[in-house]
Amino acid sequence: MKKVLEGSHAVAEAVRLAGVQVVSAYPITPQTHIVERIADFCAEGAMNARFLRVESEHSALAALIGASSMGVRTFTATSSQGLALMHELLHWASGARLPIVMADVNRALAPGWNIWDDQTDSLSQRDTGWIQLYCETGQECLDTTLLAFRLAESVNLPVMVLLDAFLLSHTYEPVDIPDQESVDAFLPPLRPRIALSTSAPRALSQMAPPNVYMEMRHSIQKAMDETAARLEELDAEFMERFGRRYGAVEAVCCADADIVLVTSGTITGTARQVVEDLRAAGQKVGLLKIKLFRPFPTTQVREVLEPVPKVAVIDRNFSFGATGIFAQELRAALYGLSRRPEVFGFVAGLGGRDVTEKVVREIYLHARDNAAPDSEAIWVGLSEVSNGA
Amino acid sequence: MSHKHFKDSPLFIPSSYLTTEANKTGSWRFLRPRYDEKTAPCAVACPAGEDISRVLMLASQGLFKEAWETVLVENPFPGVCGRICHHPCETVCNRAHFDEAIATHAIERFLADTASRNELKPRLDRLPAKRERIAVAGAGPSGLAAAYFLALLGYGCDIYEAMGEPGGVLRWGVPSYRLPSGALRNEIAQIVELGVRIHCGNPVGEEFLGRAASTHDAVFVGCGCGREHGLAAAGEDLPGVEDGLELLRKVAAGNGGALEGPVAVIGGGYAAIEAARCVVRLGGKAILIYRRRREDMPASREQIAMAMEEGVEVRAGMAAVRIEAQSGEFLLTLREAQAEGGDANAGTASGRAAGKTDTIRVGRIFRAGGFDAAEQWMLPPPGDGVLRLNNSVLVFTEAGPRVFGGDLVNTSKSVAHAVASGKEAAIALDLLFREGIDSIRPELERCSVGGRRSLSMEAHMNGPRSLRSSAVVRYSEINTDYFRFSPRLTQPRLLKGERSRSFAEIDLKISANLAMREAERCFNCGICNQCDNCRLFCPDLAVVRDQSPLGRRIDYDYCKGCGICVVECPRNAMTLEEEQGPEYRGGEKD
Repeated sequence: MKKVLEGSHAVAEAVRLAGVQVVSAYPITPQTHIVERIADFCAEGAMNARFLRVESEHSALAALIGASSMGVRTFTATSSQGLALMHELLHWASGARLPIVMADVNRALAPGWNIWDDQTDSLSQRDTGWIQLYCETGQECLDTTLLAFRLAESVNLPVMVLLDAFLLSHTYEPVDIPDQESVDAFLPPLRPRIALSTSAPRALSQMAPPNVYMEMRHSIQKAMDETAARLEELDAEFMERFGRRYGAVEAVCCADADIVLVTSGTITGTARQVVEDLRAAGQKVGLLKIKLFRPFPTTQVREVLEPVPKVAVIDRNFSFGATGIFAQELRAALYGLSRRPEVFGFVAGLGGRDVTEKVVREIYLHARDNAAPDSEAIWVGLSEVSNGA
Repeated sequence: MSHKHFKDSPLFIPSSYLTTEANKTGSWRFLRPRYDEKTAPCAVACPAGEDISRVLMLASQGLFKEAWETVLVENPFPGVCGRICHHPCETVCNRAHFDEAIATHAIERFLADTASRNELKPRLDRLPAKRERIAVAGAGPSGLAAAYFLALLGYGCDIYEAMGEPGGVLRWGVPSYRLPSGALRNEIAQIVELGVRIHCGNPVGEEFLGRAASTHDAVFVGCGCGREHGLAAAGEDLPGVEDGLELLRKVAAGNGGALEGPVAVIGGGYAAIEAARCVVRLGGKAILIYRRRREDMPASREQIAMAMEEGVEVRAGMAAVRIEAQSGEFLLTLREAQAEGGDANAGTASGRAAGKTDTIRVGRIFRAGGFDAAEQWMLPPPGDGVLRLNNSVLVFTEAGPRVFGGDLVNTSKSVAHAVASGKEAAIALDLLFREGIDSIRPELERCSVGGRRSLSMEAHMNGPRSLRSSAVVRYSEINTDYFRFSPRLTQPRLLKGERSRSFAEIDLKISANLAMREAERCFNCGICNQCDNCRLFCPDLAVVRDQSPLGRRIDYDYCKGCGICVVECPRNAMTLEEEQGPEYRGGEKD
């Protein structure tokens, strides 16, 4: 059934359809619409879930770690500072191998206080052992959330579903809501591999001395190694059932391209239009959308970009002292190739600044007209400021 | 359509099927929490030493009979005290620092009235019968209390009472609008139920004391203050000048008669106020004359205010100096006393000399200045051979031991102090008979509530209360996070107009609902009400439910001494102490 939904509500619908059993969250703009809608579902009886109200995001995730250890399907949502507050427990959730699913609405970190779109909050959690899936549209938010449960439960790792503040979370789009039966067929009830039980008591997450700790970490990496392939298979099944697929990455007009733009999140939609227009004008430009950030889809990225002369990465995020984070990851992924494209790293749209078609076009032209970047990170559209002089 | 089944991903996590109990984390402990029930300030302030925090806890749980019985262990008169006690418990209530003190007296009365309405029989612990028998002179509150407590301790008692009905000042001195006689009779009947014999119309005199040894092993003398000691006003002995106490007696007997016109009542104490209020009810215009300032009146503020509402005119700062009879009426000369800062000399001759005078014409005059013993033998003798306790005096005579109690030895003259007196006398005699005179002071100290003046019969009988610490809980020791502001019960009352025309009880009954709500406000200072916070908050699951009196214990094998249980106890029923053993002084710890 098609409905006009905002991205937040698309996520909430997926959580309802997924038959999540325990939800715990703490409100924060621009995430709150997600859990508000879930709370409504619980209150109305549309969902048979325990909704645990807690005093912080730290507690929200802690509560889910407890619930998930009991072998039930769990969900939380947060954003920005809230995700930062969860940091300790992000490590715990993955270390404990709990298939928790979280929606994080990408929002800038303070100060300056800013509630708008920026991916630095989730990308700065890249080393916590969570799978990260970035969404472009409202429909993708719903579909990715459903996929996330299946993926998380298949590899026993937590999954973060990322959507851009306001541009996705608060933007109404037509969304096809699948029926419960189809969802149940795709996502059957959780068959937990970890489930505490009073009938077979055991302790979890206790002391792990040096002789075992490393193997535990290696086990997480081995599961991560399987993740991209699992996602591809699940994507195929999803396609079969629902007629939509996303892939770990999506390549548009890349085969003969001289320059490929690399994007994630909603900038992708804008870039699609720019690529279409430039192609119509005879420019050989392509687009690579990266959906799966962790584990980084090195194989897929290499496959698309190896023959391409130039790559222009647009990062709505930044790692201070280094570069945009997608650019950084991409450079690392391409490093092993004997023939590598020239990688231009652009930083744009931090703190919710609009990345318009004009901005994307400028980025393209800059990459086209320069043989090589003059710096690792090219900040786009900066104004002159005093910088405290 | 195919549903992909994946083979299990690599999963290697810390998990153990071994019990973690092998790790005795209690060895990390430097501080030791323990259950330590303490004393509430109300219980210390209550002359009868009632276990108020427990009474209110039981009442809040709807356990009205148990709550009533808990009062009865310490006081045979909850129905009386709930009505007329000056409730010092409420003055010291910790809740007053939070919002308002608990209306303990209202709950006490509710419990007694509820028991009476349901014709409940209390189940009280009694000690086995003893061979000693005690005579009690006077069936006032102290004598009745002494007999009651002696009966609980196993002694037979005979009370000798001059009047035709027992109760003393409670029966003949407190008008029914404050204490209906039925409420008193119920509680006296319970004392009789215990086997106490009350011989009414049977006044005893000095000669009785002399021969009591042949029939009784000891005598308790609780005769009360029955004689007006005079005003020092010229003409006060004129025929027709009456005593306020006599008016109260007549009213209590149901023959107060009718009054009209201005009637003077001279005095500012309890009896004066009540006499004046009776005058109003009998149809007279009451003028209360008191030589000092109104705030110096010994009567309670509340009773003075109610008297004035009912129409009593208070002329404070005026001393009655002369009474003259004139054509069936009296001319009463008043002289303004110099209010020298309200000090006690304001009523002396020198104080009077300077004041302006006024003369009023009144139909009747009632003296209610002050009272003392009607006869000398009612008072304890001075000198040696006398053991002076807090609320009684033990005297050894040739005719056996004699204990003086009640208003004649108490500096504070209240029904609760009379109960304290009877209780102290009963415990002292029990000790005298069973263990000898030297045991009296140490045992009274052991039974004292919070180490102060009030005594606990439950402690003397080695009930659970004897385990309680004498530390008195302070407001700062209450975890007020667990309490919400809630207003004190408003006592429903007869309207002003109804009061001044009737002897019906002014304070109306409260519902069980109101009583429970009020009892729920109580912090239950120092005692466990099974809230279970200690267990719920223990991060080590080291608080274990069991069959002990408090229902739980601490498993010191695993208690790390974090103290969370003690902090989260809302009512300071736990204590955190430093561990004392050598292993806790700088021993190596892992």
